Amino acid sequence: MKRRIIAFTLLLALVLAVAGACTPPVEVADITVTDMMGRTIVISNPVERVVALSAADCEILYALGAGDMLVGRGEYCNYPDEVLEITAVQSGAETNIEQIIALEPDVLFMSSMAQSEEQVAQLETAGIAVVVSDADTIDGVYEAIELIGDVCGKSDEADALAGELKAGFAELAASTQASGATVYFEVSPLQYGLWTAGTNTFMDEIAAMVGVTNCFADVTGWGEISEEQVLERNPDYIVTISMYFGEGPTPIEEICARAGWADVTAVKNGAILNLQNDELSRPGPRLLDGAKALYQLIYGDAE
Amino acid sequence: MPALPVDGAAVKAENFKPYEYAVFSVVVIATMVLCVCVGSVDIPLSDTAAIIWNAVFDIPLPEHITSPSIILSVRLPRVLCVALAGAALSLCGAAMQGLLKNPLADGSTLGVSSGAALGAVISIVFGITIPSLPFAGVTIMAIAFAFLSLMLILALAYRLDYSLSTNTIILVGVVFSMFATSIVSLIITFAPERVQQVTFWTMGTFQGSTYENALMLAAAFAVFGGTLFAHSRELNAFAIGEDNARSVGVNVKRVKLTVMIAVSALIGVCVSVGGSIGFVGLITPHMLRMIVGPNHKRLLPACAFGGAVFLLLADLVARVLLRPLELRIGVVTSIVGAIVFIIVFYRSQKKR
Repeated sequence: MKRRIIAFTLLLALVLAVAGACTPPVEVADITVTDMMGRTIVISNPVERVVALSAADCEILYALGAGDMLVGRGEYCNYPDEVLEITAVQSGAETNIEQIIALEPDVLFMSSMAQSEEQVAQLETAGIAVVVSDADTIDGVYEAIELIGDVCGKSDEADALAGELKAGFAELAASTQASGATVYFEVSPLQYGLWTAGTNTFMDEIAAMVGVTNCFADVTGWGEISEEQVLERNPDYIVTISMYFGEGPTPIEEICARAGWADVTAVKNGAILNLQNDELSRPGPRLLDGAKALYQLIYGDAE
Repeated sequence: MPALPVDGAAVKAENFKPYEYAVFSVVVIATMVLCVCVGSVDIPLSDTAAIIWNAVFDIPLPEHITSPSIILSVRLPRVLCVALAGAALSLCGAAMQGLLKNPLADGSTLGVSSGAALGAVISIVFGITIPSLPFAGVTIMAIAFAFLSLMLILALAYRLDYSLSTNTIILVGVVFSMFATSIVSLIITFAPERVQQVTFWTMGTFQGSTYENALMLAAAFAVFGGTLFAHSRELNAFAIGEDNARSVGVNVKRVKLTVMIAVSALIGVCVSVGGSIGFVGLITPHMLRMIVGPNHKRLLPACAFGGAVFLLLADLVARVLLRPLELRIGVVTSIVGAIVFIIVFYRSQKKR
């Protein structure tokens, strides 16, 4: 069944590609943008077909109302649900260059993580503009939104979305006060080795925004930490981003059931939040949802 | 056979003597005490002692000690699990090296660990569990796959080369190991949301070990480790050669099967608790042969003690080196193991 769906989508993509190739070109001025690696890129207008490899870029495209331009997505893109109907492309170090070229996009959005320079060169030789959007701060997310908006002819929508996010974050920040309380972000559960998010992560930035301190501020980026350290630091709040597959205990129940964790303040007070949908780990517009959820955990429903 | 000569100098007393048991036990216990006292979080020695003492005799703790759970719920079960897993893996290595007359035999070089990890991954991704015992499905699949892998590897090696020479077995083992690892990668491709759960089995960690894990390891060690100890004499005969074993009256087929089942079960249990950890079973038997000689009656107990010490120290490094961060124990054993192995192998080759 799955194979048939893939075959059908491929066929559809091919038909669309042929159809796209037949429309007469419209003479419009080229788009010139500077991407987040500082590369200046000239893209011939209009951009109609795009492939986005990173999940955040897919989310931004949909939030800008440009989701119908997507002809391919990275395999890990999973939000919103519509994106799952788009042809999946292998991303990361094994990025499938052939498949991307076959999709005939005008523009490829990707993050700077894993693709090699050779792969980028191959794509550019094939006439595909490669735009790197790689936000590692909230300001970077605004920049990515503006960049994608400019490329896709949705600059106004991008301004609106970025403005909306800025206002949302500002509103949250205005109604919080630094309390000295600590939060522990759990990226990977105990059974598979504890990983947390330290400084230079969105989680850390948002914790500061809502007035709590990340108890692993001495870790940079994501890192595997000792269980002992969590017990020693005794966080007031715990945020876990573990997924729940509908079997066994939920991530929150699992944390409460861990031997020796009953004395942790967050466990005692039931102050544990499970964000299952990458709200806080993905540089996209839903960071605000994650921030609001954390705000609710700390200050209750009164906003 | 570089490591298994029965030359005059190497032949020592027949059995592991009581005083030797005492010396080795003291070393293991000292290492365990060290590993309980030193950790990611600094806890004063007196507090650590008080926490354990008071827990054993059920005395309430003095006011100033706030976090007994770090010692009692985190460090102690972990140290127990690591010691038992080290002992079991090292014992398996020694038994396989003897059985196959092969100095390179080990769960990791023969692909048994990768096979066990594959079994565990399959049971996670396809949700194969035993109702009411959620963790048992993984363990049983790990054991089953460990055994099937070992059988498959040996069957293939037999077909290629009836004498089961060192190179053939290792070659088949390495190929199988790569095969199993690539199947794991394939499974990840189809279930990308499980990446995190799956990588655990390929890298290994003892984070989150519980007393139940320790109990399971202890039980497996008692049963299957005991089986291996009981076959020391037969292993001695195998170490000289399978034909030799047959001619001195060993029931070759039965002993081989028994030892292999015991080895697979031990490796399967270890993998299901700590993931696959390389090199422990490979190098500790070589190091201990230098100390106690090649006789399995002495070598097997020595390996159990030595493996525990080696893995405990590796875990200590993994916990402490980059604190508050933690290293994967497999990274430590592989780095140390590879270097030690080259030294040991070089020295034993030169001696010939």
